[in-house]
Amino acid sequence: MNKQAEVAVAMRGITKQFPGVVALDDVTLQVRRGEVHAICGENGAGKSTLMKILSGVHQPDAGELEIAGQSVQFHSTRDAENAGVAIIHQELELVEELTVAANIFLGREPRTRFGFLNDAIAKRKAQELLGLLDASISPEEMTSGLRVGDQQLVEIAKALSLQASIIVMDEPTSALTDAETERLERTIATLRLQGCTILYISHKMDEVFRLADRITILRDGRHVCTVNKTETTASEVTGWMVGREISEHRFRSQQTVGKCLLEVKDLCVASQDSSQSVQLHNVSFRVHAGEVLGIAGLMGAGRTEVLEAIFGASNSQWQGTISLGGQAVSFAHPSDACKAGLVMVPEDRKRLGIFLNLNVTENISICSLFHAIRNGLLSKKAEEGIVAKPMNQIGIKTPSLTASISELSGGNQQKCIISRWLLTKPHVLLLDDPTRGIDVGAKAELYELIDTLCQSGLAVVLTSSELPELLTLSDRIIVMAEGRVTAEFSRDEANEKKIMTAATLA
Amino acid sequence: MKLWSPFPLVALRRWWPSQNEWSLLVAIVLAIVLTALVDSNHTYFFRPFESLRDIARNSAMLGIFSLGAAVVIIAGGIDLSSGSMIALSGTVCSVTMLALAPTEMMAFKPVGSVVVLIAVLASLLTGFFVGTLHTWLITVVRLPPFIATLATLVGLRSFARALCESSTAVLTPTKSALINVADPAFKVVRDNVWFSVVTFLVLAFFTWLMLSRTVLGRHLKALGGNEQAARLAGIHTENVKWFAYCFGAMTAALAGLFYIANESVAAPVNQGRGHELNAIAAAVVGGCSLSGGVGTVQGTVLGAFFLRVVIDAVSKIIKTGADVYEGLIVGVVVVLAVTFAQGVNGLRHDRRILPGSLGLCTIPVLALLAGSLASMTTGAASGVAAGFTAFIALVALRIWENRSHDKKAQVSNSQ
Repeated sequence: MNKQAEVAVAMRGITKQFPGVVALDDVTLQVRRGEVHAICGENGAGKSTLMKILSGVHQPDAGELEIAGQSVQFHSTRDAENAGVAIIHQELELVEELTVAANIFLGREPRTRFGFLNDAIAKRKAQELLGLLDASISPEEMTSGLRVGDQQLVEIAKALSLQASIIVMDEPTSALTDAETERLERTIATLRLQGCTILYISHKMDEVFRLADRITILRDGRHVCTVNKTETTASEVTGWMVGREISEHRFRSQQTVGKCLLEVKDLCVASQDSSQSVQLHNVSFRVHAGEVLGIAGLMGAGRTEVLEAIFGASNSQWQGTISLGGQAVSFAHPSDACKAGLVMVPEDRKRLGIFLNLNVTENISICSLFHAIRNGLLSKKAEEGIVAKPMNQIGIKTPSLTASISELSGGNQQKCIISRWLLTKPHVLLLDDPTRGIDVGAKAELYELIDTLCQSGLAVVLTSSELPELLTLSDRIIVMAEGRVTAEFSRDEANEKKIMTAATLA
Repeated sequence: MKLWSPFPLVALRRWWPSQNEWSLLVAIVLAIVLTALVDSNHTYFFRPFESLRDIARNSAMLGIFSLGAAVVIIAGGIDLSSGSMIALSGTVCSVTMLALAPTEMMAFKPVGSVVVLIAVLASLLTGFFVGTLHTWLITVVRLPPFIATLATLVGLRSFARALCESSTAVLTPTKSALINVADPAFKVVRDNVWFSVVTFLVLAFFTWLMLSRTVLGRHLKALGGNEQAARLAGIHTENVKWFAYCFGAMTAALAGLFYIANESVAAPVNQGRGHELNAIAAAVVGGCSLSGGVGTVQGTVLGAFFLRVVIDAVSKIIKTGADVYEGLIVGVVVVLAVTFAQGVNGLRHDRRILPGSLGLCTIPVLALLAGSLASMTTGAASGVAAGFTAFIALVALRIWENRSHDKKAQVSNSQ
């Protein structure tokens, strides 16, 4: 076999500009046939843009693309699919109202002699492809009824049905449980045995080091280096990603716990419909001033539901007692909770947190507008004055006070939402997975912020899908599984293994 | 001196039009200049005040409930019922007067200012009731806004007619679907166009103040931008929606009063029929996004004005009643304005206007449209000529587009 054939993908001098930013600057990359090649970098480093160029979503401004030694130029994803490149996007692109088989063959439906749909063949072929992936999904099932992990397998089956020899996966595990992640890893191993080349984008170092043969690191749209997995370490890679090495340190080694601010006793929530929302059974915990309580648990364990019930944002009725600063409370609406000094930063910043149509100032001031009223009307000046203080304290990086919120990085958007709530001078802060989709550098900044807030006497309740984060930040950790609290650990007792054991207790 | 530098002045910066509003201003000026040149009767030169009065009255009447439509759209909803609300408001107003002063009404005599005042308040209160009904259907029954207001679009007009017929049956000798309105208060409003114009401008000013300078306005935008985030930020989204739909229905009720004043009759069967779409069109042309959260009062005012100027221009140029071509004009203006606002980036990725077999079929559609319009307005011969010319031009465009597209593809393949 000559050297040409061994190179599955070659990208040379790829440059891509978006209005205002250079997303990719002269990136050169070679991917060998049959390898799992991880692409690492902070958010905004250009990983996704590079992969979108490879799969025909974007067209580069400059540079060349070669697939299996052939120079190509993709004008659409169709072109890329014809060349054997398929991408599995971070946000899955399935039609939920169609069956699994229909999704796999969407746009290329098998037909009978008379031009009608041939469901029998579609079903059989879909079954074969799913079998190849070891997936126990029926081709006749509705896609909307599938779990995220299974939906992802359907996407992979779709890629296989395109005869794709190069499969790009953009942060495939960000919404998966550990069991699903494991299955995905087995699937990737299978695909590799069948000769597929896989490009794998991920933030998670442990995954990258389990799966990848080689790792390419991007930073600020430039190629930093490509290394063999065996020749490097996780901390070296994160170092390249952020431009410096990050030492994982624990915060607040000596800290004093104040009085109990939030006490939840026997919180029960009956689920409205059995399939979707989680029931909560007798959830109890206490949080003190100056303390971070971590809530660990797999997806669907009920972490978000607990926080929503406390914050008055839950749609279902709950029973039990919640007391805030010694007084029993029951919030019917988030505004009541906010008035009482309890606030929540919701999970999924884009969907539940930011207002894309409002600017940075307006996004921060939305909860404290009544303080910006002069002579009966909102004053922009007063509003900007109110917002300036937390912006400087927290260190939000923004082009200007009136910039669009979409111009900010994920970390800075999250800081805006935290500042929004800090302006209401809360006593208890609920943080629901605050670092999801935020890059490594910004995460460290958020950790420091949470630590500072805590030292200033706030009680913090934190959930996270990443155990190291909980271990870094929390003074105590409670573990939830299927709507129940299954364990509680102090900071010194806790470790990943103990937590995982408790989280998988059913 | 400082007054003349625009940006350091906060107040002026707020008023400073956006790009979309500048283009609307330019489009309005262009439409007026073009009409002045093309109109063979030269109405703009010979009877400027008459033209101005017509446009001002029509813009003000459309503008009043366009503001309501804009507020509902900015709050992330839609109100399809304003045309029917106009009919209901007029009916309620005249039925109230008929009930309070039957003899004067039937004799076309003044009914007295107290009766007029009560009737006007009853109309506005009806607007509040309808807005409340909408909000209840949307937030409690959980109907999509489109469905809820579609139901009232159909229902309110029928209700207004039934109200008109049953009350005339009781209060007058004959059952009727019309109630004449002859009170001098309404005549004054009809004869003095500045009544509607001032009402419109005052309403526009307060709507602007509300949207840009009050907490409620900010909450409306937040609700339209991201409803779930708004709720989690402690905004009582139901109350904000309640305000939006009441504002929408009450502005339509106010417009309904001007409709009966203008036509001296309450006619629930036809009054305001289809006008809800003109209001939505004015808001959209003015830059409101139907996905919510985006839009301004300035834009909506200009949008309403622009629509009326173009309708007036066309009726002057082709010398037919404006109502015949009104819908067609609104349709074309909406398509062009939104296409223009999207810019080139809104087009397909290869930027062809007539791609593939869809493009092929679009050629005769557009040519037929041009041809039939021309033959209806200027005669059969020029109609055939226009249709034929359009056909040839579109075919040429198609061939040119395909050529340059193929060339690009060749270049990229050979690289």
